[in-house]
Amino acid sequence: MSQLNAAARAPLDSRAKMIEFHEVHKYYGDYHALRGISATIREGEFFSLLGPSGCGKTTLLRTIAGFEDISSGAVLIDGKDMSDVAPNKRPTNMVFQSYAIFPHLTVGENVGFGLRRDPRSKAEKAKAVEEALEMVGLKGYGARAAHALSGGQRQRVALARALILKPKVLLLDEPLSALDKKIREQMQVELIKLQREVGITFVLVTHDQEEALVMSDRIAVMFEGEIAQLADPETLYRRPNSRRVADFIGVMNFLPAQILGEAAGHVQLEVGGLGRFEVTEEQASARASGAEPVVGFRPETLTILYEGQQAHDREAPATIDEVVYYGDMTYYDVKLDGVDAPVRISMRNVFGRPVLDVGTRTRVAWSAGALVLFR
Amino acid sequence: MKFSSLKGYAFLYLVFLYAPIVLLPVFAFNSGTIIAFPLKGFTLDWFRDLFANQTLGLALKNSLIIAVSTSILSTTLGVFAARASTRFKFPGKTGVMGLIMLPLVLPEIIIASSLLVVLLAVGMPLSLFTVILGHTLMATPYAIAVLNAAFSSLDRSLEEAAYDLGETKWSTFRLIILPLVTPGIISSALMSFTISLDEFIVAFSLAGKETTLPIYIFSQLRFPKQIPMIMALGTCLVVASIVLLATAEYFRRRGLAKTGAKDTGGFL
Repeated sequence: MSQLNAAARAPLDSRAKMIEFHEVHKYYGDYHALRGISATIREGEFFSLLGPSGCGKTTLLRTIAGFEDISSGAVLIDGKDMSDVAPNKRPTNMVFQSYAIFPHLTVGENVGFGLRRDPRSKAEKAKAVEEALEMVGLKGYGARAAHALSGGQRQRVALARALILKPKVLLLDEPLSALDKKIREQMQVELIKLQREVGITFVLVTHDQEEALVMSDRIAVMFEGEIAQLADPETLYRRPNSRRVADFIGVMNFLPAQILGEAAGHVQLEVGGLGRFEVTEEQASARASGAEPVVGFRPETLTILYEGQQAHDREAPATIDEVVYYGDMTYYDVKLDGVDAPVRISMRNVFGRPVLDVGTRTRVAWSAGALVLFR
Repeated sequence: MKFSSLKGYAFLYLVFLYAPIVLLPVFAFNSGTIIAFPLKGFTLDWFRDLFANQTLGLALKNSLIIAVSTSILSTTLGVFAARASTRFKFPGKTGVMGLIMLPLVLPEIIIASSLLVVLLAVGMPLSLFTVILGHTLMATPYAIAVLNAAFSSLDRSLEEAAYDLGETKWSTFRLIILPLVTPGIISSALMSFTISLDEFIVAFSLAGKETTLPIYIFSQLRFPKQIPMIMALGTCLVVASIVLLATAEYFRRRGLAKTGAKDTGGFL
């Protein structure tokens, strides 16, 4: 899905800088909410701030909008320092978590609210409102009372109201968290399409790693006021730079590893259940959370082999410990021989291939190239 | 249907509450001068006396001036205080708010006598104005209590959204906050008005030579001859209160319907 978004556009590095954070610190009294954030968001980028609650992601978003002053450092938008610019003078607009739809106004009045100071004629403004509503799929809703709308519709009104001003940056604070799963997934796709259509830089705050992976060009994963990793979704998923990021994004299995030696850009390892093998230095650059090195691998990088199937690379004997059936997928918790803790394997269900029972002896296919070493 | 003891209690409660009010119009239209059954006959004389009474007219005018001023002043002060207490954090906030709300629990006689001492000490002559000051002091805590509820139910991001969309802080207040707290403002104004209109002790202490409605009524209770006219006056006041409350409730409900807010209880 991120490919859908990134496709057929100028590469990020060649685009102009839209938002720059230079060593941004924010204190609330003694509490150090932002600890030296430095990052650059490019023009037309769909950028996400991802992290658990209290990590500072919303605070950082609000420093872009101007709702939070920063204690030190600088925030630049389109090359201009924003320190003395009030929120109503910034080239940004925001979609709030609660949508903040004005309940005493109609849908049309809500969407046209930002045009009050626009010198255009009434008819031109009405046309702009109608266009904005059409863009978010609410054509003809202008005269309705805003408070009578559903959650998804409010979300669209909030989007139209922010986009009608043609901001350089659209800020979205957990915009989908209040919607139920089906509508949320639908809105994710619509947001991506909308962003490509208008070409405006989107900065999204979310605690939902799946949402961030689906929508973003790049993601900044934040913990405790710091950016832990800033990368595109695929890099983040495949090559997390720390155990903490790996835990936060998707599911990752961890097995204790013993480092036998390093030579010629490779690290030799011994891992219980998998045996001796080597990984590249690139795979070995992630930080562990403790002193003990571990290898991590995603559930889909392992495959359960059925009778007569051959592994492409390596295989390990195992026993199935738990089976969770999801319809399209089955999750198996399997115990590799010689390892007590089970590892999770996800298998796409294929017609004609039975779901295996608990206790079945099996073989697991794996490949050293899919592992990450945390040390 | 079974007539349970709980229902009986509720019935007696309502009788106790409303019987005196029901008796008001009954005796207001009774031609006898003594407030007792059996009733004698129908008359409109007491109402004629009422409207012909110039002292009463003056007292009513004074009371309305005081009540309207008190209503406007305490609601305005209440808006500032409620806004400050719901939106901002500042050192000593709890203490300041506590002190503002204190008149709620202070006996009126204490407020009245201490105000009198202070006013005499600073040499301010007693007048309608001093009554307005005293009533504002008493009504403001009630206004704040009502307005606090209205302001704290506002989503703060509404304000930020308007600010974000290019409005100034003042125009945001005017365009977004004020319309949304209007039901609260109506409630507050009405409550302050009512508190002031029937207040006796502070008015009696601070009015100097002026007369307000409660002072006038109290002074007339000594003359049995005047009591039927007071009944007529009471009847008029009850009707006026009902009309006023119904109007306010109508506007409050209309405001709620327009914003789709949940009804958290009004007057009726």
